[in-house]
Amino acid sequence: MASLPLFANFKYSDSLTVVGISICTAIVCEAISWILIYRTNSYKTLRSSIDKAAKKLETMKTDSNKIINKKSKTKKIDRVETSLKESSRDLSLFKFKSGAVVALVLFVVFGLLNSLFDGKVVAKLPFKPFGLVTKMSHRGLQGTDPTDCSMAFLYFLCSISIRTNLQKFLGFAPPRGAAGGGLFPLPDPKTS
Amino acid sequence: MKEGKSVKFNIQQQHQNGHLSPSIFAKLLDPEASWDKDQLGDVLHWIRQVVALVCGLLWGSIPVVGGIWFILFLAISSGIIYGYYAIILKIDEEDFGGHGALLQEGLFASITLFLLAWILVYSLAHF
Repeated sequence: MASLPLFANFKYSDSLTVVGISICTAIVCEAISWILIYRTNSYKTLRSSIDKAAKKLETMKTDSNKIINKKSKTKKIDRVETSLKESSRDLSLFKFKSGAVVALVLFVVFGLLNSLFDGKVVAKLPFKPFGLVTKMSHRGLQGTDPTDCSMAFLYFLCSISIRTNLQKFLGFAPPRGAAGGGLFPLPDPKTS
Repeated sequence: MKEGKSVKFNIQQQHQNGHLSPSIFAKLLDPEASWDKDQLGDVLHWIRQVVALVCGLLWGSIPVVGGIWFILFLAISSGIIYGYYAIILKIDEEDFGGHGALLQEGLFASITLFLLAWILVYSLAHF
């Protein structure tokens, strides 16, 4: 793919192509997700029940120290937690079924990028990577310069940063009360 | 004893992740404001993204090289987040899941955004 004349003087102008395609892919994936998932009543209902259950759980846990009869309070907390887990599981299952289409789009896009930039250095890293990072950043590249960056690593960075923030901005990020997330929450995997 | 901020859960308030209502901007620097868990999480997320973008653009422009600058970014980013919720907002972290929960809001996305900005600017501006 030829770079635009505007960026012809940049040695690593291919990186802009990768970023541009990632942005377009993220928008397309979120559009598909909205059509198949987010606008449906099932999703809205599940999402609402998770949010309410999570808030109720937080309130009950905050007030639990003030309650004399802790045994009954603990039982109520357990019931709400079970309900929350079930709703979260149902939400995950619901998204999983519809996420196959988005996964296919991502697979095709990655294949396209791979065919365009396989073996090409698309960017230069300002640091020397190590371990697994090197395997991804130097994937398919010739030579031994560890600061050469392949399409795979740049696409990975684009995917995570652009799609996570796009989901957050559009309000499609998974609810905090749902199971999962952890230290490094990724973009909603059911829509990827 | 640390002055705590009570958590008020406004169940009637319709809130969507990432949709910051105008009222949020009014209380960004108000230590007397009460925060919903989701609202605070969203604000901390976006602060992290802005810091990541600024650091990435700046360090790619100078440029600075070496893994130490990645560590420095993590320290600066986390320091800003901690300073914001602990010193400016005077939040009691126990009401929001502890320091870990607050510090990890938007962390991974900010790391990838920082790396992306740093790598792009470095590659395009200096080669």
